[in-house]
Amino acid sequence: MPITHETAFEQLGEGFLILDPTGKILNCNTAASKISGYLFTELEHQPFSLLGGADLDSIKYQYELDRALQEKKLIVEGWKSKKDGTRFWCEATYTAIFNESVHSGFLVLLRDVTERKQIELQLLQSQEQYRLMVEAVRDYSIFMLDPEGHILTWNEGGTLIQGYIESEVLGRHFSMFYTADDLLDKKPERGLEIARATGTYLEEGWRVKKGGSLFWASVVMTALFNEQNKFVGFSKVTRDLTDRLQSEAHLRNSEARYRSLVEQVADYGIFMLDTKGRIVSWNEGAKRIKGYTADEVIGKYFSIFYPEEDIVSGKPPRELRIARATGKYEEEGWRLRKDGSPFWASIVITAVYDQDHRLTGFSKVTRDLTERKMAEQKLQESSNKYRQLVQDLWSTNRQLTAVNRELEEFTAVVSHDLKEPVRTIKSFLRLADQQLRQSNLQQALVSVDKGIRGTQRMQELIDNLLNYTQVSKTDLKYQALSLSGIIAQVQQNLQEAIRQSNGTIRTEISADDLLADQVQIIQLFQNLISNALKFNEAPSPTVTICSWYEGDQIRIQVADNGIGIPEGQLEKVFGVFRRLHFPSQYPGTGIGLSICKKVVERHKGKIWAESQPDQGASFQIILPLNGSSNVESHE
Amino acid sequence: MVQAMLNPMNKIKVAIVENDEDERFFMVQSFGGAGTFELIGEFGNGDQLFDWLANAPQVLPQLIVTDLNMPGKNGYDVICEVAAHYPQIQVIATSTSFIPATREKCQRMGAREFLLKPDVFIDYDSFVSRVYELVKDELVKD
Repeated sequence: MPITHETAFEQLGEGFLILDPTGKILNCNTAASKISGYLFTELEHQPFSLLGGADLDSIKYQYELDRALQEKKLIVEGWKSKKDGTRFWCEATYTAIFNESVHSGFLVLLRDVTERKQIELQLLQSQEQYRLMVEAVRDYSIFMLDPEGHILTWNEGGTLIQGYIESEVLGRHFSMFYTADDLLDKKPERGLEIARATGTYLEEGWRVKKGGSLFWASVVMTALFNEQNKFVGFSKVTRDLTDRLQSEAHLRNSEARYRSLVEQVADYGIFMLDTKGRIVSWNEGAKRIKGYTADEVIGKYFSIFYPEEDIVSGKPPRELRIARATGKYEEEGWRLRKDGSPFWASIVITAVYDQDHRLTGFSKVTRDLTERKMAEQKLQESSNKYRQLVQDLWSTNRQLTAVNRELEEFTAVVSHDLKEPVRTIKSFLRLADQQLRQSNLQQALVSVDKGIRGTQRMQELIDNLLNYTQVSKTDLKYQALSLSGIIAQVQQNLQEAIRQSNGTIRTEISADDLLADQVQIIQLFQNLISNALKFNEAPSPTVTICSWYEGDQIRIQVADNGIGIPEGQLEKVFGVFRRLHFPSQYPGTGIGLSICKKVVERHKGKIWAESQPDQGASFQIILPLNGSSNVESHE
Repeated sequence: MVQAMLNPMNKIKVAIVENDEDERFFMVQSFGGAGTFELIGEFGNGDQLFDWLANAPQVLPQLIVTDLNMPGKNGYDVICEVAAHYPQIQVIATSTSFIPATREKCQRMGAREFLLKPDVFIDYDSFVSRVYELVKDELVKD
């Protein structure tokens, strides 16, 4: 059975409520009544602030709703009250709902996180002391132990607090500072075990100074891991608290405020590193982003967040070196969560100094930008897509404009040229009418005859026009052709004209292969060759066709020994219905070369005319060889 | 005839360029019979006109009335070349269709005006009157 929204809503483990825009509860699921202790009927139509407890803190709830409306989504954590008055720590996620951009209410997701909160509070307390020590390092006896507990280093603080100088303690077991009772109790060994197992061991208790006097000591033992996270021993930090209890209490209070601030930042992972890069504090944001709890990471080298290649290239220590040298290191990059999944992090490492300007460690602020990066990437992709679209539209627009202009010119020329014979016919009919009224029969017959000739010319123009339109309209069928084969075919078609004009066709074909539409290419050469024969006064008209390759193009030349073309008219000969001569002299409608130009342009080629005085005319054609790979674009 | 007959000295000297012989025949009749124009040349296209002009005729026309659509040198060529080499001569272009873009093109090239040809070419009288009204203030000497 398919899962409906209703079933999903009802069975959702988290409390789920639907509020109207004013915050009144419209609906809720079973989990919500279970968490709150109210029945649905007791919640329905009640303000959501009912869950705020006896004091009905409606101002706060209104504020949260306003923020949720403004930010679309809001997550708030805090105490809420059940029907029976018991408090529970709750995470409430508000989502403003819009129906066609009209605000129509809120969804509220409730999660009872009381247990989690209690763990956090405990953590807060355990870390407080450790933090105090790091910040007041010079008042501490700090030394290192090997894995068995033998003292490896000693410091000035140790001399002051325990009373021993370095040579007196190096190599000895740290149990020398414990009272006889503690030794019997195996407290030193237990401390090491706990520190090794959990990362730290904290204790306050009596310790023995040189000479046997006791002092009230605060002790922190931390398991040490090297950069490969291998256990190498312990650090032990001891403080004499005997006469410092008051100031410590004070510090503890201000620290607690600062800590709770940092703790509750959920969007930023904020944690402290010691000077070597070991993690000494951890907040909620770090936990959320990286997935580790404080217990799991404190004492570990911070390189655990880096991908393998960064570790191999020594990036973590390099970042600390830079932070140490310049005060700050910032970057964005991939980091790893506990489960090994990568996230895109923005990080800032800041060197932290104590009052005497000694480096005490680093603060590291990490932000998970994965979602933002993905959103940016999507935005970029869609922006690229739109840019491409705009470009396509631009070029389409340009093509359309060109086609339009061509069409406009064509229409103007054609309508004009077709109108001419109509007017001629009309004129001669009117003239014949006049002449017939005057019984001038002979003149009328002449007029009628001229009118008929007008209709013939009209017919020719229309036929040629259809022919021309056909050339632009039909889809090209590209095929491999032989130029000499085409010329032979044209010679066959023009057999009669060649015979009548006493003409000769000569070919000097060095490049024979071309990729083109056979019908149109035949028409091209047929028009060129018949023109060459027609506009020719030589006793034996000669047309010479040469061809050769020029790079990835074929160049074809059709030259004649005819009357040539005046210099200023070389380009005009290609215009539709453009004639250089009176029809009585050289008949024709002036469409042949327009068709030639159209054919060549449709094949992505070029055609132009050349003519030297008294040396005939030659038509030059360039066609690309890879004809079929050209997508037709300006048709 | 609307206009009064003018003293031959005051008639506007006109040349006609038109490729259609029949049409040209009726044009010549109307311009010649109007009494306001003196026809001093008729040509089938621009080539013929410029061949004649190049031979330095004794009398130059004040006005050239030219068809646009002609084989060889057409009306546009006539407008351009006259504007370039004989700026003192006015050119009126004529055609069978009135297209605003064509008129603008002619005027841009230097034509005095672009006029639509009469509906049928056997009746050019009213066309001739229009041409006269258009240019008389500039070309008729008192």
